[in-house]
Amino acid sequence: MPPLSTLDKLQRTLQGPGTGYLFTRVFLNEGRILLADRTLWLACGLLFLFLGYSLYVGLSQVRAREAVLQGITLRDAEKADKSITQLRRILAGHETPDPFSNPADPASVASGLGARHAVLPYLALAPLALGQSDMAPNYYRVTNRNKSTFLYDGEMDNPWNLMTGHFDTAFVVIYLLPLLILGVSYNMLSAERERGTLRLLLSHSLGIGTLLLAKTAVRALAVLTTTGATVAAVLLPERGGSLEYLFWLGMIAAYAVFWFAVAAAVNALGKASATNAFALIVVWVTLVILAPVLLNLAVSQAYPAPSRTELATRSRLITIGGLNRFADLLATDYRHVGKPQVLLPKDGKIEVAERRKAHLLIARQVDAELDTLLAAFEKQLLAQQQFIERFSLISPAAVIHEGMSALAGTGSRRYTQFTQQVSTYHMDWKAFFEVRILNGIAMTEPDFARLPKFSWLEQPATALRGQLAGYALQLLVPSLLLGLWARRRLRRYPMV
Amino acid sequence: MNGILEALAVSKRFGETLALDGVSLQVNAGEVFCLLGANGAGKTTLVNIFLNFIAPTSGEARVDGRDVTRHALAAKRDMAYIPEQVMLYGVLSGLENLRYFAALATDEDLPERRALDLLRQVGLDETAARRRISEYSKGMRQKVGIAIASAKNAKAFLLDEPTSGLDPKAANEFSQLLRTARDKGVAVLTTTHDLFHAKQTGSRIGIMRRGRLVENLLAADISHLDLESLYLKHMSNQDE
Ligand SMILES: Nc1ncnc2c1ncn2[C@@H]1O[C@H](COP(=O)(O)OP(=O)(O)OP(=O)(O)O)[C@@H](O)[C@H]1O
Ligand SMILES: [Mg+2]
Repeated sequence: MPPLSTLDKLQRTLQGPGTGYLFTRVFLNEGRILLADRTLWLACGLLFLFLGYSLYVGLSQVRAREAVLQGITLRDAEKADKSITQLRRILAGHETPDPFSNPADPASVASGLGARHAVLPYLALAPLALGQSDMAPNYYRVTNRNKSTFLYDGEMDNPWNLMTGHFDTAFVVIYLLPLLILGVSYNMLSAERERGTLRLLLSHSLGIGTLLLAKTAVRALAVLTTTGATVAAVLLPERGGSLEYLFWLGMIAAYAVFWFAVAAAVNALGKASATNAFALIVVWVTLVILAPVLLNLAVSQAYPAPSRTELATRSRLITIGGLNRFADLLATDYRHVGKPQVLLPKDGKIEVAERRKAHLLIARQVDAELDTLLAAFEKQLLAQQQFIERFSLISPAAVIHEGMSALAGTGSRRYTQFTQQVSTYHMDWKAFFEVRILNGIAMTEPDFARLPKFSWLEQPATALRGQLAGYALQLLVPSLLLGLWARRRLRRYPMV
Repeated sequence: MNGILEALAVSKRFGETLALDGVSLQVNAGEVFCLLGANGAGKTTLVNIFLNFIAPTSGEARVDGRDVTRHALAAKRDMAYIPEQVMLYGVLSGLENLRYFAALATDEDLPERRALDLLRQVGLDETAARRRISEYSKGMRQKVGIAIASAKNAKAFLLDEPTSGLDPKAANEFSQLLRTARDKGVAVLTTTHDLFHAKQTGSRIGIMRRGRLVENLLAADISHLDLESLYLKHMSNQDE
């Protein structure tokens, strides 16, 4: 009757002779020992200091950047007001327009006078992971010039780099948290054996698995409480986002569980403390340092970063071609020099300089011809991103990095969406002005109110949660496997 | 008579070394079995097998009729163990150590009052009980180990040179404790190098030599002198 005996065994394992009670006793006693020998104070104190400083760094960075964004938005609004006032004064005959910033001239408005910035707002958790925000700007000044002049002019490396160069909370979590975890747990069983207490412990009906689990649990609780409380206390009052914070904490918990599972598995091997420490450092270096580097190498090998130089050269060549093609238009003189009245609208029409029409046509052509190139460029970036998302599994550090930047709104996905939305906005902007410039239709006050506006459309929360659930699984499934393996291995734990 | 502790043809091989070679013995309720033997004879190995710290290469060890390898946790509820060197948590006091291990032993919290009583019985007063273990001598730690064992209401005691490091007075008190346990029906298996102690407290005496149980006698059937000469005879043959 094997099924019955299996069931019997399962029942005994689950209910055990007072397993819950023994777990609690070990848990409490372990907490007492760790407090008495100052291990926990030291580890949690260090964690608190690291996190505190990283939050200070993150908050001040985001504060400064938000101030910049605010300034930009404010100046845009001021400029729009000024243009309207100026337009009124010109129409009333109180002011002579400047030929190159004439609010009545659609070409002037399109190319700068009316230009507004497309802004990507920072999310509540942005201070936790500055991520790509250094390399990818959070705002673009959109005009009717061609896309390549503003959208792709920054240097963009591989889309993925764990080290942002900032001592932000993501850095503390990815690199230092595992070290602290391993520091408090590398000798969970080996120290008991070396101290000689293991024999006395296991001479009672305490299972070695229960012992290891309870010892792990007390450490995990201490580490996670310190992390959760520090971040909540500093971040939430200023930035809110409690729900996102809970998701963040869940991700951190999954990452911590992974490292505790690694420590437990190494302890289950039954080696000496020093050996455990060495093995764990090797694991840390492999998973946190080497694997991401290899992943980066693989991604740049499989999907080489599209060449910006090529993009710039091509756009220059197309521009030169355009300059040649429209040479006759470009050769015309500015007529306002001799006839300042051409700068004024008349019956809703205005004379748009031929050169400026030419520039619009050239920009249109550049955009059209570059579109295929840009599409390939974006496809490549997307492929890189997908590759990373698929293979980040090989490094839990990569997984948690992706998860944290997604929650902080500084991940590559959100930036890609931003540039896509900016691109659409750019098209709307050009379309709005094209008819007016080519047909010489003067700008009116209502036109200013009708200018295309950029409003960032955040990705739906469900999509983000799906992404996060995926990352959590990528951390928890390996942890579970490690845990199960450790449990099997403990049966052969060498007591003598 | 049903044996509480039973070894059935237990053998244990460590690579080349045959540490135990078909050892069979039985300790009944209310019996004290004293296991004598030279260093390396296999005494600790036998104790380790009863505690399921190592698995026998062949044969079977039983506690109250249960095979210890298959029902390790259940078997351990019935055994109290005192190692040759009782090792405890240095940062905790003797009292805290006792209460912790007693809770593991019995699945119940040990009230402080009762814990202090137990420590007093083994010769540790309250001042000593509240000091950190790191400040204890070896003998004092041994006393805490004895207190832990007496807190556990076990059917069997497994004692591996329990009195090592105890002063004569404490050793004597320990013998008294053993006799009380025996009278309560506990089956005691103890290893020792102390013939006098064996003769005094043991109801059965076994002598081990190179992994084999070469003598298994009723203590009453042999005089101290005979025991001594028998023991020396086996010792002198050790290297043959
Ligand atoms: N883990 C081990 N690996 C290899 N050999 C071992 C191991 N443990 C014990 N032995 C060997 O088994 C034999 C019996 O050892 P054991 O510790 O049982 O002796 P003992 O009778 O308790 O000796 P002592 O009086 O010194 O305590 C010895 O030869 C010893 O070297
Ligand atoms: Mg021994």
